[in-house]
Amino acid sequence: MEELTATHFLLLSAALFIIGMMGVLTRRNVIVIFMSVELMINAVNVALIGFAWEQNSMVGQSFALFVIAVAAAESIVGLGIIMALQRRIDTIDVADVRQLRE
Amino acid sequence: MSTEVLVFDILAIIAVIAALGVVLARNPVHSAVSLIITFINLAAIFVMLHAEFLAAVQLLVYTGAVTVLIVFVIFLVRVDDLPEFYGGNPVQRIFALLIGLALLGEVAAAILTRSAIGASDIWTADAIADAGGNVQVLGQILYTDYVLAIQITAVVLLVGTIAALVLARPESSTLPGRVKRTGLISLAHPRGADRGIAPALPAGLEATRRGETPGVRFDDRGVVLVDNAEDFTETTAWGGDVLEGED
Repeated sequence: MEELTATHFLLLSAALFIIGMMGVLTRRNVIVIFMSVELMINAVNVALIGFAWEQNSMVGQSFALFVIAVAAAESIVGLGIIMALQRRIDTIDVADVRQLRE
Repeated sequence: MSTEVLVFDILAIIAVIAALGVVLARNPVHSAVSLIITFINLAAIFVMLHAEFLAAVQLLVYTGAVTVLIVFVIFLVRVDDLPEFYGGNPVQRIFALLIGLALLGEVAAAILTRSAIGASDIWTADAIADAGGNVQVLGQILYTDYVLAIQITAVVLLVGTIAALVLARPESSTLPGRVKRTGLISLAHPRGADRGIAPALPAGLEATRRGETPGVRFDDRGVVLVDNAEDFTETTAWGGDVLEGED
């Protein structure tokens, strides 16, 4: 690969997304799961901007901006839920969170 | 190999290693630091993709706001009572590595065999330079084609802020039926005080009983009265067990 193509960016995006996904699936700490979700969102942004760059388009960049805005709102609510979890059941271990199951 | 590819490779390798650090670090603070490194590298990659405004937004929103919020939440919760803080599950990690590599292989095969379809859009580097730059073009598109979407995004952010306020409120003010412990509290004999007859205090307690503890009074039945909730303790004033009545 002599030239920089969108394939480079897509491979980076796939690697980051799968790392984040494995973090969500294997970790038990809610905060680390939350950080892994942020990692996956950023991987999607890399793919969007890479495609936009390949197609000489600005639509992908607009969508990435919306993704960042929604991710900011999601992070606010997610961290609020972590605080409520700590206060209500005194743990941030997802294995101990069973309120909806019982 | 051109300089561009070399710079991209360095940035991508550092980003992936830091992403692995996010997932593998035992201490959540180390995960947060790795996350900051990943975000900064991705911002540099956005600059390489001619998305300068998004690179700035990435630094402001993610590295500046989200990661700092995460670190604040790490301050506020107890992270060291999880079993994985003292070492993860090795079998689970090996399985995760294998499944992740398999998935990465599948996706990489799909990426490497793809071909670009669709006509190229008009925004080449020269066209963007003619229109004034990345920010101007992005703003023009956002406020013409996506004007409704950007207003809905504003509503989403407002609702998120309200949700955070509701979630972070103390639970005692949101849960109905929970009584706050204020006012006069009897801790020497919590059940017998209203029956008129209370057992005598243990022998040798008279000195303690007449002691001058500010805010704490003893009445004739051996009932300890406190003036406010801050003086309430679970242990009795004489350090012994709570007196039990005849019942």
